[in-house]
Parts: sequence; structure tokens; C-alpha cells
Amino acid sequence: MNIENLIKDTFTAREHDAPDSDAVLAAARQRIDSRRSGLSRPLAVAAGATVLTLGAVTAVALNRPDPVDQSQTVATANGSQDSQTPAPTAPAPAGLQMPYSLGWLPPGAVAYRAQRINIGSSAANPEAPLYGGEYMLTVTAGGQVLEVGVQQFRMVPVDQAMFKSGPGSPVTIKGQRAVESSVSTGPGGYELYVEHPDGGSMYVHVAAAYGSTAPAQQLVDNGRRIAENIQFPGTTTVTPAFGLRDLPAGMRICAFGVQQPADRPGPQATTSYSLGTCTVQPTVHVNSAVVGQPEGTPGQPVQGRETRYADENGYHRLWVLGALEGAPVVIAGRVPPADLYDIANRLVLPN
Amino acid sequence: MADYDDFARAQLPRLLRYATMLTGEREQAADLVQDVLVKVYRHWARISGADHPDRYVLRMVTNGYLSWRHSRSARVIASGDLPEEARADDFASDHAAREDMWQRLSRLPKRQRAVVVLRYYEQLPDSEIAGLLGCAQATVRAHAHKALASLRNGLAVEQMAEARETR
Repeated sequence: MNIENLIKDTFTAREHDAPDSDAVLAAARQRIDSRRSGLSRPLAVAAGATVLTLGAVTAVALNRPDPVDQSQTVATANGSQDSQTPAPTAPAPAGLQMPYSLGWLPPGAVAYRAQRINIGSSAANPEAPLYGGEYMLTVTAGGQVLEVGVQQFRMVPVDQAMFKSGPGSPVTIKGQRAVESSVSTGPGGYELYVEHPDGGSMYVHVAAAYGSTAPAQQLVDNGRRIAENIQFPGTTTVTPAFGLRDLPAGMRICAFGVQQPADRPGPQATTSYSLGTCTVQPTVHVNSAVVGQPEGTPGQPVQGRETRYADENGYHRLWVLGALEGAPVVIAGRVPPADLYDIANRLVLPN
Repeated sequence: MADYDDFARAQLPRLLRYATMLTGEREQAADLVQDVLVKVYRHWARISGADHPDRYVLRMVTNGYLSWRHSRSARVIASGDLPEEARADDFASDHAAREDMWQRLSRLPKRQRAVVVLRYYEQLPDSEIAGLLGCAQATVRAHAHKALASLRNGLAVEQMAEARETR
């Protein structure tokens, strides 16, 4: 067998690892429906409010005051857990810090999905992790719904920018070289890549949501203003539905994602973590957005909650039932079951 | 949006398998494709009017993988510890060889892995891969060459083949 055939055989043998289509479609549908539902009260802000500009030590979910006690578990800047983690009876998880902040957003009610991921380390300091992040926001005001995306592309310089609507046009944003889409009237909306001082680029995308309309100039103005007000390093924190404390030695939070519908703040947010050394692909995934019904057989109780456990060809999954207002949290990975139970016992679940 | 649902149902199995090969993880694959489905819904009017919506969405999955999870970490992964060289007789079964290859694939930089998946799993020609990745065919060939070189490094099956050829 030559190496090319071995590669093909390897892929074919892994097809059974693919997730269940119906479950993924149902989860996507749920997210779509939650976006379409009323995005109103909680995160509504006045015009020009700095929605995502937050104090470095103020644990708040975007612009919403957070009731969490600052003494509890904190995800630190390097993704590991604070060594001063309090007792496991902490009432709720604290905020997770994003690598950059959005100093300005269009006024309106905001639903968001925020993600941060470890993207390696700097050549100068290999021990210091670098993080990238993405915001996906839905801003609703006066019947208009805007979709806003902001993402950091460390490996994509402005010169390599690609647009949905054809070639870009050069522009300058706060003295930085940038390229923006030349056509903002189409369904692709307005796109902008602005040079990042440390390399790569920041990508800003503003478009009217499906079924909504917005003048092209509004998209351009909003997109440019968002780009002008991106702030490094990030001081924004997002509040997860659950936290993690005292991760095992050598293990860090390589990535997290928090999705918060505007009309359902609090523990209804879905949260995911990818854990590992971050120098190879994360080995354990923890997620509250459980796809499908828990499977397998009853497992050992965790934190007074029932569990279910399944082993699919060495890929182990442990569901902690009733973890979040009756909903489960799943911990999964190609690791020994004891490791999953270990992580499960480190979950910080709301009372 | 019935046509969106029909499209999603028809494309999902392939997209999920593809995402699994890219990410190497079931949960990440589900996450990646879920994100893409939401984006597809948001832009369905435009995507449904494309010449090849299926190819467009495949590109979205690819870009999602390359951008969000893409990174310098790929270089760290690539230069990480490779498994100790194995003797040919360690791979008494095909299963072991595939497991070893799966681990090696997980160490490839993201763009190289995408090229390998598109070439050997999706079985696309380099011209189409270049179109999906937004790069030149020469770049695709370069990625593939580097990926194969990394995957071969210390690979027992290659040693076995070489041994047979030199007998």
C-alpha cells in the first residue's frame, strides 16, 4: 500500500466519526430560530454606546452587569484557571476574556456569539499563548436587523483579502492600511480588512439580515466605525453558562465559545470549551449545546447529578444530566473515561 | 425557506464527513458545520442563486476551518513531537497503520490538511482545490508536497515498501 492509498483508507475508516445529520440540523435550526425571535430588552443601548468596551476587571457580559462575585473562578488571560480558585461551591462561573474588544457597535439590542481560540505562540516567547477571536452579533433597532462579524486573521495580510462581492478598494482606517469591498449593496454586505500592527488583519463584516434592509452607506459607515474602534488587548468578558476550575496540570482552555441570545441572558447561554495542552489539537471538548439526546449507558454520578457514558470506537462521551436548568453538558474526547470524569468534577455549574 | 431545509438535509451528510476529516473531531465538526448552516441561512437568497451552491457551502466549511481554527498553532503542531519511529512489524494490522496516519494528519498545518482532505478524500483536482482555497494551483501542489513529506516521515508503511523494493 502506498501512502496515498493509506491516506484514502484512513479517511474512509473515519467516516463513521461524522456527527449525526439530524441532530446538527436541529441545533442549527434552534440557533436560527433564536436569532429570528425578538431581540429586545437586555442589551439595548443608546446610540454610540460602547457596548463591548468594558473595564478589565469588571466581569460583565458585554454591557450587562454581572452579578457574579469576583472572588470565584476566573478564566485568566492565558486561558488557564486562576490559582486562587475558591471552593467548588462557587455560585456561577465568571467572565471569559476576549482577545480584543469592540469599542463601538451600531445602537440596538445585541445577540452575540463570541469565540476565542489559542492560535499558537509568538516566536519571541514560545511559552506565551496567542489568542484569536471572533464576534458574531445580531443588532436589532427600529425593525432593522444587522448582522455584524468581526474576526482576527493573523495569517491573512490585507494583500490577500478576499471579498464576497468582487475586488476590494484600498482605504485607510486610523492610519492603518485596509481594503474594503467596493460593492456593499448586495446581500454580501460590507466587508473590510484592516492591517493589524502585529501582522495579519482584522476582518469586519456588516450586512442586513435576511428579510431586513439597510442603506449601503449605513453599512459602510458602521463597518468603518467598528474597525476604527477595535481595541487591543481585549478587556471584554463574556459570561459562560458554566465554568471550569483547577484544570489538570498542563491542561489549558485552548478555545471557548459563548452564544447569548439577547432575549435570554444568563444561564441559557450556550458554552463550549476545548481543552488540552494547546500545542496539539485539543483533546477534550466540553459543550452545553448538546446535539441530540444523551446516549450510552448510565455512568457514575457527578456533582450529585446522573450521567450517561458512551464509548464509540475509543471516542468517549460523558453527559452530565441536568447540569444547566435541566439540560446536559457533554464532555468528549479520545481520552480515558477517567479523564472525562475528572473534568466533569471540575465543572462550575450554576446553582 | 423549504428549499433551504431541503438543501441542508441533502448536503449535511457530506459536509459533516468532510468537516470530520478536516477537524479530526466529531464535536468540532458538528460545531463548524452548525456555524456554516446558520450563515447559509442568513445568506440563503444569495447562495441559492449561485451556480453551484454545494461547492459554495463546501468553501464556507473550508474557510471556517482555516480561519477560525487556523493558525500559527498549526506550525507548532507540525513541529511537535512525532511518534517514535515504528518497526514494520509493529503494524501488523491495517487498523494500526490507519490510526498512525490519523495521528499524523492531526499534526499537519491546517492548510496542508485541507489540501490533503480535498485531494484524497473529496478527490478534487488541484484546479478545483485552488479555487476553493483561493490560491494558485502551484500553491496547492506545494502544500500537498509538504504534507506528504511530513506524513511520510518515519512512516513504517513506506519503510516496508522500500524494503520490498530493495529485495
